[in-house]
Amino acid sequence: MSEKTQDLKEFHWLMDLLQTIDVGLVVLDREYKIQVWNSFMENHSGLFPNEVQDQIVFDVFPEIPIEWLKNKSESVFLLKNRTFTTWEQRPYIFRFKNYRPITGMAEHMYQNSSFIPLESAAGHVDHICLIIYDVTDTAVGKLELESANQELAHLSRTDRLTQLNNRGHWEELLIQEYKRCRRTNVISSLIMFDIDHFKLVNDNYGHQAGDQVIRITADTLKECIRETDIAGRYGGEEFGIVLVNTDAEQAKLLADRLRTKIESLIIESGEHTIKYKISLGISEFDDSILTHSDWIEQSDQALYFSKENGRNKATIYADKMK
Amino acid sequence: MSKVQTEQIDVTLTEDQRDCYQEIVNVAMGQAADLLARLLNVFVIMPIPNVNLIEVSELNMALESLEGTDSASAVCQGFIGAGIAGEALLVFNDASFSDIARLMNYQGELTSNIELELIMDIASILNGACLNGIAQQLDVQFSQGHPVVLGQHCNLTDLVKTKNRTWKKTLAIEINFTIEHHNVNCDLLLLFTEDSIANLNTRISFLID
Repeated sequence: MSEKTQDLKEFHWLMDLLQTIDVGLVVLDREYKIQVWNSFMENHSGLFPNEVQDQIVFDVFPEIPIEWLKNKSESVFLLKNRTFTTWEQRPYIFRFKNYRPITGMAEHMYQNSSFIPLESAAGHVDHICLIIYDVTDTAVGKLELESANQELAHLSRTDRLTQLNNRGHWEELLIQEYKRCRRTNVISSLIMFDIDHFKLVNDNYGHQAGDQVIRITADTLKECIRETDIAGRYGGEEFGIVLVNTDAEQAKLLADRLRTKIESLIIESGEHTIKYKISLGISEFDDSILTHSDWIEQSDQALYFSKENGRNKATIYADKMK
Repeated sequence: MSKVQTEQIDVTLTEDQRDCYQEIVNVAMGQAADLLARLLNVFVIMPIPNVNLIEVSELNMALESLEGTDSASAVCQGFIGAGIAGEALLVFNDASFSDIARLMNYQGELTSNIELELIMDIASILNGACLNGIAQQLDVQFSQGHPVVLGQHCNLTDLVKTKNRTWKKTLAIEINFTIEHHNVNCDLLLLFTEDSIANLNTRISFLID
């Protein structure tokens, strides 16, 4: 066998390789005219090589942003340097269907691409090659993972019944605020409150009614607080509110507003009408508070004081309560 | 020049067309079954393929030949070419694995990794041979995507989640392979997109008459 036929045979299977490889290969010249169009591109676009040969790529695919692609490509022509695009930047260059059109989750194919300079024998770069990779599965997987993580993060921070911050997350936020107060000496206040005689609600009207009372308390709480306040469900029927940049007197205004609002509520639960009240304790940050738990403790002391002095009250903590 | 066709398309199937698809797939599947039989040295039982135009949402019901299956594994492979796009979906009844492993001379404990090897090997043979057979008869060439494991040991309904709302109808060709004297049961499902059907019908119009 002569060397020439050997070369020709090699050329033949090399071409076969480029044709059937499962990535898109497109060669563009200086005018962005299509020079090579392999079968991946043919099959996914539905356009035959002879239809697109010498056509300007932007004319055939108007969805490609001209300036964007030119910017990328010019640097490849000029610097003889590779460049890359990922699906995060732009989901696709060529809008193709998902390779798995039926069981796939995405409507279109997500694509990564590499732009490669092709040097001529004289050392000039007159052509570039775009390699198009189908990365739909990776992209969809990553997007799904992100949304699942967001969902999980939300679930792990939220109390199921009230949709308030749950105890763990609320306490973390309280710790942050406590540390901030220590550093900056900007005063914040902490309200702890609970529902008066909640056990009676459960005993008299059942746990469904109890849940309803807690949910309505949380909703009323959400209506009363400002955007910067941090509310959470601390325990069964106990709630906490961190009031950022707020002294005890201002906090008491909010506490009384919440207290009277709840006092005026009439809850229909089945054939029952329920009226209930809350008691609150307020404590303002000061340097003598050594941990965030001490801060909660102080507000709790004030809360017990409200309870012992007739309930349906808001009390500001004072040292004599210890 | 829009690449993704959105225009209203002809999605009907005449009796002649249905017979023709059945025949084409029968030939292609016959080749596939022959390969499998030679590989495993067994007799492969293969009924006439089921050709149906179904709602994508009914896909799970189409897997009815696998009735009584609590748990299955599936590999799916996309293909596209000449305006025809679709997927080849191979679903394995999980109860088949121990016999398949024996037939393919896998020794030792049947781990989920080995099961994956088995299903990928068989998917390559069946999907490859079947798609080649169809492409030859229709005189087209397909690009074949990389196979994707849809799930292992799942409920059938969990396997095929069709959240993608682009397609309403699909041309589903189903064939159920069983192996004589062995507890092996798998379903190969060829699914063609709605907008492939017109192109397919044109292709087979040369074969009818």
